[in-house]
Amino acid sequence: MSGVGFDPRPRVVEESGVARLLGSRCTACGHVLAFQAPRCPLCRGPLAEARFGPDGSVWSATVVRVAVPGREPPYGLAYVDLDAGPRVLAHYRPAGDRALRVGARVRLRGCTPQGDPAVEERR
Amino acid sequence: MSVSIWGVGTSHFGKQPGETLVGLASRAVHEALADAGVDEVDAVFVGTVFGAPGVAPRVLHALGVTRVPIVSIENACASGTSAYHEAHSAVALGRYERVLALGFEQMTALFDGAIHPEASDAEGRMGMALPSLYAMSAARYLEVFGTRREQLALVSVKNRRHAAGNPRAQYRKPCSLEEVLASRMIADPLTLLQCCPIADGAAAAVLGPARGRPGEVRVRASSHRSGALWDHRSPHVWGFEIARDTARAAYEGAGIGPEDLDVLELHDAFTIGEIVTSEALGLAQEGRGGELLESGHTTLGGRQPVNPSGGLLSRGHPLGATGLAQLAEIVWQLRGAAGARQVEGARLGLVETMGGGVSGIDGNACVVTVLER
Repeated sequence: MSGVGFDPRPRVVEESGVARLLGSRCTACGHVLAFQAPRCPLCRGPLAEARFGPDGSVWSATVVRVAVPGREPPYGLAYVDLDAGPRVLAHYRPAGDRALRVGARVRLRGCTPQGDPAVEERR
Repeated sequence: MSVSIWGVGTSHFGKQPGETLVGLASRAVHEALADAGVDEVDAVFVGTVFGAPGVAPRVLHALGVTRVPIVSIENACASGTSAYHEAHSAVALGRYERVLALGFEQMTALFDGAIHPEASDAEGRMGMALPSLYAMSAARYLEVFGTRREQLALVSVKNRRHAAGNPRAQYRKPCSLEEVLASRMIADPLTLLQCCPIADGAAAAVLGPARGRPGEVRVRASSHRSGALWDHRSPHVWGFEIARDTARAAYEGAGIGPEDLDVLELHDAFTIGEIVTSEALGLAQEGRGGELLESGHTTLGGRQPVNPSGGLLSRGHPLGATGLAQLAEIVWQLRGAAGARQVEGARLGLVETMGGGVSGIDGNACVVTVLER
């Protein structure tokens, strides 16, 4: 709705051809999150930058088929639990017009042209 | 102090582009004031999500409500029930005597389909519309519990059948399981008829100390909280834990359990929402909400009817108005004034509303209240 300067989306970095999520880990309690934040939202401990992925499992997924401003349906959305990392929302290209199945193994592949973190299924 | 709902009122719910907010609010407020038997109130709590700055006093002065404190609350889909919760607290603490809770929304002026995701939110910025959030709950739930798509769709069939008896609902025509499943896919596995329609509407309630007059409905408990962190540690689908925990607090406050309830209005913005919430409220074990529905337990004529009004799926969902419309429905049910959709002999009822749209937590807000005749 509102025009926003700050981009609140999770950040993905590419290192040696491997896409990784740039998140945080609490140095006090070990909680991991997909974002940068001033403090750990669990224990208010200090956070250190941490990289996660690229591999993970689909917690759940859907294909959005309604018009959303700035995006062309259909597009896939999945909650992905990165291995030893946080749950993160990611885009994917639906294969055969079907949603990714729960539990599917996926890999971060950088960002979509709109700048959304994206995954693809590992086969 | 023991608090009662003295009166309730609502506008018609539906797409009413020719209406003004003042017109919608007028019907709700004047009906509620007349029902309560009062001309004046001492304070107003207003729930609205998309209202412009100043919308509450702008609407209220046109209804002759001036020179009293007015507080506006935005709590997503739970804005109306949040306003009610604050009105209840204010009376319970002796701060005011006659308090108006009002919710309204004029959504056809803003959207012609799903609410736009909020760009200042991480997931909203990624194109996460609310149907997709619930769709992912549905996909996960179907996979984990082996529930069938037909069981999900049955929520729409049931609530539409209930709405046939509700002249203020947006959609009153019955629909078949086949129609629900064959309607356009919105976000897999949720089809169009499994998503509540946007609407314009207003609803209101007047609360005050219990006076023991006929028609009063006593508030046994009201509970309100925001969501806990929802992340990789949660084994539950989004929205389950906040509803479970808010309901537990309300049950404890009322000194009852879910088995004591005669009638419920709960947040069925999407079919999966009613199934998951029926479990979170303790009507069924986790994963068994589909079976509960299929058994007829939650249908009018069953042991514990859920959403006799037709729910958000049939009434439509003008965000700020919804919670107070749910409340009005339970008040009418407990008075035996619900006409064709009356739950016979209902004494104890519950309202649950939950709002979402903030990523990282399992709900912006949830309100659960227990009411008694």
